[in-house]
Amino acid sequence: MRFCSQLGEIDMGDFRAIEKGSMGRVAYARIAPNEDLVTGIEKLCLSEGFDNAFVRGALGSLVDACLENREGKYSRISGPAVEIVSIAGEVRSQDDGALVASLTGVVADTRGTIYGGSFVAGFNPICMTFEVTLEEWLPEV
Amino acid sequence: MKGVNENSAKIDDKGQLLRPSRPRTFKHPGKPNPIRIQSENSPQARHFRLAMAPGKSMFEALVEPLAKMKVYNASLTIFGGEYDSLSFCVAPPDPKKQAVIAYSKPIRAGKTQMIFGNATLGESMEGKPLVHCHAAILTGDGQIKGGHIITENSIIGAKTIFALVTSFDGIKLLQSFDPETNIALLQPVRGN
Repeated sequence: MRFCSQLGEIDMGDFRAIEKGSMGRVAYARIAPNEDLVTGIEKLCLSEGFDNAFVRGALGSLVDACLENREGKYSRISGPAVEIVSIAGEVRSQDDGALVASLTGVVADTRGTIYGGSFVAGFNPICMTFEVTLEEWLPEV
Repeated sequence: MKGVNENSAKIDDKGQLLRPSRPRTFKHPGKPNPIRIQSENSPQARHFRLAMAPGKSMFEALVEPLAKMKVYNASLTIFGGEYDSLSFCVAPPDPKKQAVIAYSKPIRAGKTQMIFGNATLGESMEGKPLVHCHAAILTGDGQIKGGHIITENSIIGAKTIFALVTSFDGIKLLQSFDPETNIALLQPVRGN
């Protein structure tokens, strides 16, 4: 059995179910209009020096939202503004030194209709403001 | 479904986008601040499990117990629960064009089940507690909706509703005027 993830396929033979660690610092940020939600969170981690982090709270608005659905297809939810209701996800450092945020969440359009999916990096510009709380994750080596 | 897949460059026969459509960059009324990410950090978060009391407004049930613990700045995950009444706003374009968007008039959702929500506790420009909350809800007439919750006008039902509070020491979340967007926003500053 193999699991597919954004980081590639993981063979069950090497599958590690538990990563032990502890919470480190906490950061709160306000990200400004027209910045991208996903890369904005990655840049926040860079500026705060977080290699790995969990999203502990997020709300704000997007100009339009672009969510990835099943089978690699996309939905565009038109604003402005599309309200960010909630986000779950994390940022992980990669072997090449890059930081990758994997974020899923729920958004609401200008009529309050809600949609959910995975936020596509580079395609979710912030409208008015985005408030996010990240907690640093310190894995045991 | 209006509002979805507009301006799409490439869609399949079910109306699904086969690749993301290009993001739009919006011009705001004021000059942008060159600092695009305003952030502050604290050495460690303090966590609390908050019980929000039946019959109180969400605002009171959240602000009052946290103030007793001297928590004035925090990020909250609001768990599901029932509200005797709840009001929320959506964010369409500002008809007066003073900002890119403006909150709509409050929409009364009636007796509502909140699915979950996120909130930020900070301080208003008048120096009073301010709660910014977005949530997904099941309205009294059975619709699943989402938006900006008016916590002062949302009354907790007969059962206690719980929340996870992540508070920050050394960071204040202050509402202040943002020249770029021409509205007042919560912004982090150092301080207790």
